[in-house]
Amino acid sequence: MMDVIQQLREQAKKLLEEKKVTLVIGFGQGTELARTTPVFIDSPEGVSALTWGPFCANNLAKYLTDYKNAEGNVAVVVKGCDARSVIRLLDDNQISRDKVVVIGVPCPGQLEWQKVAAEVKPGASLKETADNGESFSVKTDAGDYSFNKKDYMLHRCLVCENPNPVISDITIGKELPVKTYEERFAEVSELEQKSTEDKSAYWDKQFSRCLRCYACRNVCSVCTCQICVFDQMLPMWVSKRTNLSENTMFHITRAFHVAGRCVDCGECDRVCPMDIPLRKLNQKIHKDLGDLFDSPTPGSKPGIPSALGEFSPGDPEEFM
Amino acid sequence: MEARVVNKGQLPELLDKLAKDYDLIAPVQEETVVLFRKISGAADAFLEYTNSDVSPKGCFLPQNEKTFNYTYTGDSIEINKPEGAQKAVLFGARPCDIKAITTLDPVFEGEKFGDEYYSGKRENTVIIGLSCTKVLSTCFCYAFEGGPCDGTGSDLLFTEIGDKYYVEVNTEKGKALADAYSQIFSSQGAEQLAKDKEELAKKLAGEFVRKVDLTGVKELLDNNFELPYWNGDDQKKCLGCGTCTYVCPTCHCFDIFDYPTGDFTGARLRCWDSCMYPEYTLMAGGHNPRPTRKERVRNRFMHKLKYHLDRYNMVGCVGCGRCVRKCPVNIDITKIINDLKEVAQNA
Ligand code: SF4
Ligand code: SF4
Ligand code: SF4
Ligand code: SF4
Repeated sequence: MMDVIQQLREQAKKLLEEKKVTLVIGFGQGTELARTTPVFIDSPEGVSALTWGPFCANNLAKYLTDYKNAEGNVAVVVKGCDARSVIRLLDDNQISRDKVVVIGVPCPGQLEWQKVAAEVKPGASLKETADNGESFSVKTDAGDYSFNKKDYMLHRCLVCENPNPVISDITIGKELPVKTYEERFAEVSELEQKSTEDKSAYWDKQFSRCLRCYACRNVCSVCTCQICVFDQMLPMWVSKRTNLSENTMFHITRAFHVAGRCVDCGECDRVCPMDIPLRKLNQKIHKDLGDLFDSPTPGSKPGIPSALGEFSPGDPEEFM
Repeated sequence: MEARVVNKGQLPELLDKLAKDYDLIAPVQEETVVLFRKISGAADAFLEYTNSDVSPKGCFLPQNEKTFNYTYTGDSIEINKPEGAQKAVLFGARPCDIKAITTLDPVFEGEKFGDEYYSGKRENTVIIGLSCTKVLSTCFCYAFEGGPCDGTGSDLLFTEIGDKYYVEVNTEKGKALADAYSQIFSSQGAEQLAKDKEELAKKLAGEFVRKVDLTGVKELLDNNFELPYWNGDDQKKCLGCGTCTYVCPTCHCFDIFDYPTGDFTGARLRCWDSCMYPEYTLMAGGHNPRPTRKERVRNRFMHKLKYHLDRYNMVGCVGCGRCVRKCPVNIDITKIINDLKEVAQNA
């Protein structure tokens, strides 16, 4: 991936030097071998902080709304899934097209850092990574490792249908073959088979563990409300108390409020400190969007009408 | 200091007995997450963990605590406080998390602001610690004079050695418990195990990979509330999610509010809160003294590295590494400490 990193830095440098943008948001090496961290680069000298590889799980499109009123333009490094967020933010009029430069990098998948960290010698530092199709090789100063994708990749990446950024001004690296996955909704379909009581028991168990830290909401690129209903003090719709009833209220509201806008980037699921399978909730909605409205994954191309924001007399309305 | 020995094979028996005689709180695993819950016996406990996902601070400062129920009767208000704390045992907490409890003690048990809810539980709970057998890449307890086998704050400390636990008796409370179950706590072979434990502690001390050096950090923060450092990337990338504070064993901020259950009845609750949230410092008139993420990020680290020291002469971090592991954007207190140290050196 060294060539991609090299090109990324060159392109970022050019954008900053030519004053096309005042800020580049990208990935930088994190404090753990298998983690990156968002970096905000505002000078051509700073571009050496940029990196790329299988440890770039974060969806940096999240930060675009922070800069929507900034003076200069902003460039952002996106993977395939993150690019869906950019499209969604544009379609929602959250950001303006002329203020954003999208640097798209075709993405062969992202590894779960905790799983990698459990294998690699603690304290080792990263030298190089490479995509070998079925696996990633990770070279460190304490030896070389190989991680097969099936076992070490984030779940969302195993069924990714947009490895190539669906919107991109500058594309870095080779386009990857695009696949569709029959099994994309396998976990949801399995849950759907359960009885109502069993489903309820399943989610009760998950929700009761929630700390209501709101990392899932805060990391979400399409959660764009200025003041979230869960933060409102007057009236206080939901208190700070955590119990099954209020937690459930939070989860159902969150899932439905992003219905039709959730781009299935999986970030909420990744960041939850309590390992609550939020993606299953979102995926149920994605599955229904497809089944009921023939609607593709939000953000997978520009101008997809928002299923819940459009009215069509032909829509199914079995419950009315 | 006294010591005892417990055969590993007898641990289930001990936990079953403790669960009968006390409220027994121990680590459990739910899906992939390890957290502390009240358990009914050895079968529920999960001891093969290194650093739980949520710390055991909730034993003494629960995320939700009812302080009283109220009923308005027309001309007066009736207040009903919940029953006092039950006799409890916290089993299997790691040394960093127990040390963290000692950093909460002065907050809730100070002479000026004693907190009966906290101290009730604290007095009635016996803390049985469990030494670590592994060091994670995110651990740095050594930087605060702690260690994987350090007994500070525990009543008893169990250290796993072969098929035995070496048990250090650190307080009278601990001794009373060990004496009460004398069929399980023996004294045989304790001297040899004491040596083995020393060895283990030495071995583990060499396994830390994070170099953390606090030299000059406190002095720098004492003299510089406004540091250009706080304008850096951390405040830009922080999501304000509060995960770091909820999983932290030393964070102790809470919110108090009434929770009505009818027109004239309700409860006054105390629930965890976080300085990373915008509404945390929002005043009734609309002013917010920490209006942006910059002030909030600064506050978290000022609290850990300065304010707690100013108030109680203890660092407000024990090096458990949870915030490092759980922060979605890799904001890392060890990096911040080392950066600040560098800033101090170059000043
Ligand atoms: S991130 Fe997880 S624990 Fe936090 S509010 Fe969301 S579901 Fe709950
Ligand atoms: S709800 Fe979750 S998966 Fe959907 S866009 Fe937000 S963070 Fe991504
Ligand atoms: S600040 Fe972080 S490392 Fe320190 S005690 Fe809290 S969670 Fe642990
Ligand atoms: S966990 Fe990280 S992103 Fe969330 S509030 Fe804490 S420092 Fe900010």
